[in-house]
Amino acid sequence: MSTPTPAPPIATGASTASASAPQTAPPDARPAAPPADALLVATDLVKSYGPVKAVQGVTFHCNPGEVLALVGENGAGKSTVAKMLAGAVTPTSGTIIVGGEPLASGSVKQSRLSGVRCAFQELALVPDWTVAENLSLPDGAPLRGFSQKKSVAAASALLSAFDLPHIDPRAAVGTLSLADRQLVEIARALAGKPRLLILDEASSALTPPGVQWLFTRIRELTAAGGSVIYVSHRLGEIAEIADRGTVLRDGQVAGEFVRGGWTDDELISLMAGREAERFFPDPPERTTDAVALSVTELRSEGLDGVSLSLGAGEILGIGGLQGHGQAELLRALFGAAPAVADEWTIAGRRIKGTTPVRSVRHGLGYVPEDRKREGLALEMSVGENLLAPWLKAYQLGGRPRLAMERGWIDGILSALSVRTRGSNELAGSLSGGNQQKLVFGRWMDRSRTVILLHDPTRGIDVRAKQELYGAIVDLAKQGVGILWFSTEVEELVHVCHRVVVLYQGKVADELTGGRLTADAIVGAAVGSTGSISLTTDEEDLR
Amino acid sequence: MTAISPPRAPSTPPPPPPPPRRRGWNSTGLTRLRREGAIAPIAAFAVFFVVYVIINPELLTRFQLQTASNLVVPLALVALGQLVVVLVGGIDISIGAVMSLCNVVFATQLLTLPVPVAILLAVLVGLGCGLFNGFLVAYAGLPAIAVTLASAFIFGSLAREVLDRPGGGVTKEIYLATSGELLPFVPVALVWLAVIAVGLWLLLQRTALGRHIYGVGSNMESVRAAGINARLTKLLAFGLAGVLTSFGAMMLASSTVTGDPRSGDPYLLSSIAAVALAGAAFTGGRGSIIGTILAACTLGLIGNLLFFAGVNSYWQYVISALIIVAVVGLPVVWRRVAFRVKGIRS
Repeated sequence: MSTPTPAPPIATGASTASASAPQTAPPDARPAAPPADALLVATDLVKSYGPVKAVQGVTFHCNPGEVLALVGENGAGKSTVAKMLAGAVTPTSGTIIVGGEPLASGSVKQSRLSGVRCAFQELALVPDWTVAENLSLPDGAPLRGFSQKKSVAAASALLSAFDLPHIDPRAAVGTLSLADRQLVEIARALAGKPRLLILDEASSALTPPGVQWLFTRIRELTAAGGSVIYVSHRLGEIAEIADRGTVLRDGQVAGEFVRGGWTDDELISLMAGREAERFFPDPPERTTDAVALSVTELRSEGLDGVSLSLGAGEILGIGGLQGHGQAELLRALFGAAPAVADEWTIAGRRIKGTTPVRSVRHGLGYVPEDRKREGLALEMSVGENLLAPWLKAYQLGGRPRLAMERGWIDGILSALSVRTRGSNELAGSLSGGNQQKLVFGRWMDRSRTVILLHDPTRGIDVRAKQELYGAIVDLAKQGVGILWFSTEVEELVHVCHRVVVLYQGKVADELTGGRLTADAIVGAAVGSTGSISLTTDEEDLR
Repeated sequence: MTAISPPRAPSTPPPPPPPPRRRGWNSTGLTRLRREGAIAPIAAFAVFFVVYVIINPELLTRFQLQTASNLVVPLALVALGQLVVVLVGGIDISIGAVMSLCNVVFATQLLTLPVPVAILLAVLVGLGCGLFNGFLVAYAGLPAIAVTLASAFIFGSLAREVLDRPGGGVTKEIYLATSGELLPFVPVALVWLAVIAVGLWLLLQRTALGRHIYGVGSNMESVRAAGINARLTKLLAFGLAGVLTSFGAMMLASSTVTGDPRSGDPYLLSSIAAVALAGAAFTGGRGSIIGTILAACTLGLIGNLLFFAGVNSYWQYVISALIIVAVVGLPVVWRRVAFRVKGIRS
């Protein structure tokens, strides 16, 4: 099995982009004027959701046969831009020109007809449809015959042409693993032989062989003259595949770069916009060896015998790729999903199983994955949301209760510097970062033994992140055990005492001290035993 | 996978059939039935039918077979209409009123117009009612339960306006054509039901629109992101439901030989009950035609069974309730037990 020899990751000039003149500009150069034969020219794209401006004036272009990376942090507007190109979101203003013609915006179908296809991170497959149905149904008119047999045959031909024989076209998509779903999604986008393929974080769940598979497909497409817009924040992948790139920050273009003309540090500071981003507090010294929580052989849906123990005052990180059991682990430990274990103790007390109500009584706290859906009652006030775990049905509620708890509520709001007009404001009107602080804050100063955190810093701004880091470290100082699942490897490396990496529902590795590095976490997360570096080329990935 | 080559056309040798997965995974219609939740209602009907025949062997005589089919076929058709709405994630509270309206339109138009025109009119009225609901739900974005609750009052009043007391011009010939016997032991009503059910099955399983209907209920956002017109699909699903309801209304008018502006009312709850019993997901995307028909037969015949068993007929609702709870609850209990057993074994 040989893959096309890639251009060396650090090359000079844009090798395959015939049209772009060799640029030696530093990464922070302002957008250059697009060449006349550019396949895609996006000019001054703006998208606002009510008062919130997700994208404010983004301009970039993409040449034929080129891979353009679109990078930026969470919330920088990458996905919104990708969705505007795909037609899933209508721009508030601005123009998109594909192949010389303006793109009819606001309709996925129109975009598809103009040869623009998009593989979304997780959005566009219907779970109750089979793989074959998902591959064939979006094309064509609704009032036309549909034959399961023919679609299965077409799907298996397509899947084998794309070298994916292990996916059963008759399986319902909902039964596939996340990685397989992404492969199907990419295959569907590729099936239309698009002129412009948009990959919106399409590699987020793929294993290294899966990423190599994707790169092979991308090279096939660009060799045939198609272009690819590669949305990602994995710098290693961008180094390997991207000819050019555009960096987004806070909905604006922060800079551009060409293959070989950048370093990781330059790009990161461009994405983050300030050095402060790199600041992480150190985990506090541990003062006791007491065990706050321990389980052996915890089994649940998606968990295949996980054993771990968490000390009082310890910050234990949980690493791994999405869908390998991290969410399930936290839910099971909190009792939100049924689970059994051989042994299970909280603060030394043995328990057989738990439910959320009992967990709170035992001294657990939980910050769930989706703050809007699981974390908060958006139509209720800030104060009531903070008090949510502590409201008993027979107690006072509403304003009298808020007045009674005034001291605690104000303490939390100021400790986390939640920006709110007061405890009577609706939780739904707060920004994402401040909402996250509420979900977290409700467990502070309530004599918890363990707090379970599900990626609490996802999608919130830098300042809010650092305030949360500070609060987490403070809690650990008070002797609370923190179990912290994060998708940001840097957080795990810098703020945790110890990191447990999950792979396919099991503990793949436990990292402490000198072994606790970003490479080791990523390596264990993809199931390899040794440590690998994401930023080197493919020999190491084998 | 070789070196750089343009994307291969599917002219590569036909793929070897994927290796058989465990337990005939996905390979049979049975899997589809199971996925659509139809196994439990089919089994329930089988048990119910055996019990029925044991208590009342007379069912298998020509006369009783005919009356029993005339009893269940309108319910089955209306339940299919309800199923289509439930598949796109809605619920139709107006289905009883639509049925009454189509019923009286059909019966009164028979007085003056030729039969095919009356049929066409009734179907158009059903379609119009469905599209009215569908437009408000799909394009105005209102919740289906509120829209159909409101339109139930409108359609109900219209029905009373058209005909305010039982009557109309249903003739004996029409009765024979819809509710008589085609052959000995083959009631016509069952034949019509079979024709409509097969047609609906073809539409739902063998056209892209049908699969879109399932997809919209399963995950509206995904369907839209895939470039499918989800709103139009929803609108058409409501229209289709209206048409199916009008078929049920005409079968009811013919078998009772009258038009009645209140005839549809009891069918609202029964149709929802049948869809629930059929194991359909009320969030949409899952539900089977055969399961719905058999669930409607079960629910429709409970009253008869209790009559023959000598039980007070007021108990029929309690028994219906028990059957629904049992059939819907068993799979849930089964999953819990299976999970426990798995946990203990491992």
